[in-house]
Amino acid sequence: MPVWQVIYDELKDQNFEIISVAQDTGGEEAAGPIFDAAKVSYTALIDVNHHISALYNLVNVPSGVWIDEEGRVKRINEGTYAKSYMNGAFGTDEYVPIVRDWVANGDDSEHVWDADKVKSSIVQRTPEAEMAAPTFRLGTYYFSNDNDAKAEQYWTMAQELDPTSWNYLRQDLVYEEGGSAGPAWQQRVQDVENAGGDYYAPLEIKGADSTDN
Amino acid sequence: MRTNRKLFLLGSLFVSGLVNAQSATVLYNERVVEIDQTLPDATELWVTPEDLTRVNDFVLKPEGACLDALCIPVLQDRDSDMFVTRQDQGWFNLTGLADKLQQAYATDFSDGVWSFGAMPLERQSFLRGAQAPDFELEDRDGNTVRLSDFRGKKVLLLTWASW
Repeated sequence: MPVWQVIYDELKDQNFEIISVAQDTGGEEAAGPIFDAAKVSYTALIDVNHHISALYNLVNVPSGVWIDEEGRVKRINEGTYAKSYMNGAFGTDEYVPIVRDWVANGDDSEHVWDADKVKSSIVQRTPEAEMAAPTFRLGTYYFSNDNDAKAEQYWTMAQELDPTSWNYLRQDLVYEEGGSAGPAWQQRVQDVENAGGDYYAPLEIKGADSTDN
Repeated sequence: MRTNRKLFLLGSLFVSGLVNAQSATVLYNERVVEIDQTLPDATELWVTPEDLTRVNDFVLKPEGACLDALCIPVLQDRDSDMFVTRQDQGWFNLTGLADKLQQAYATDFSDGVWSFGAMPLERQSFLRGAQAPDFELEDRDGNTVRLSDFRGKKVLLLTWASW
């Protein structure tokens, strides 16, 4: 997050905004200190209901969407790390340069996707998965009213309705033994990867050697 | 005698049903709408035309339930599956509208909490046209922020989480 602030300081005078949205049922208490520590001056929002992920069909964090001056999506559904961490164990150094290129060149940037590519990159939902967002929202309503039993009931239901959502799984694991990056999460990542799936959609960057993120 | 007793029991059930099922809580986007008075029904959510608008901005007009240019026809001079009149009060079937619009919803019947998902008709420009869906969230100071506030700028929308 401090890295995004550096990028923002560099690019903000070029008609560019970052809207950073925490997907956090814990609200200000959970996400606020992280925004504060990074001294962010871009638009910082805390989204207790995971509304933005529901609206843009995003299933993991961090995720990024490019939106142009006319409100058109130009890239979507990518694990948008600002840099690589732990000697490349996760994150990527390849994403920020393409953001820079887009801000400078707009639609002339080779990293801008056409509408068909954007549409095919939006995560598709089954009718059951469409039920997941209002169900998760119901759980969050109960959570904010201190009814943890019903929160758990509906959050679990949301995960069953949309098993592709890492956010619904990991947000719920925060409140369970082991936490959001504990054995339950590791097991799920393993299962998905063993089945040929990805934790993040593979980063597609023209001209880059590696597609790892 | 037996018949009278049955009628009495039915009457009690109806009255207790009225008492228990009158209020409802409706969740839609960031809204939490408390509704004092609903028409008791085991499976559907019937609200007054005023509460319909409080929930989702649809307005009941003579031509139907309307949101901007869209109008879903609703008969109002007689009872239908979308609208009924009881003791001069009109009741609109909110879940019936959701079904017509193929809008997903989840319900906790015991507490009367109804949570509505996005309306597919508002999703078409995103799913078929790659237009970014507008949103409205409060920032940390309580100011309303909309994506459309940034029209004319490139926006990098990032999600993250503390967990």
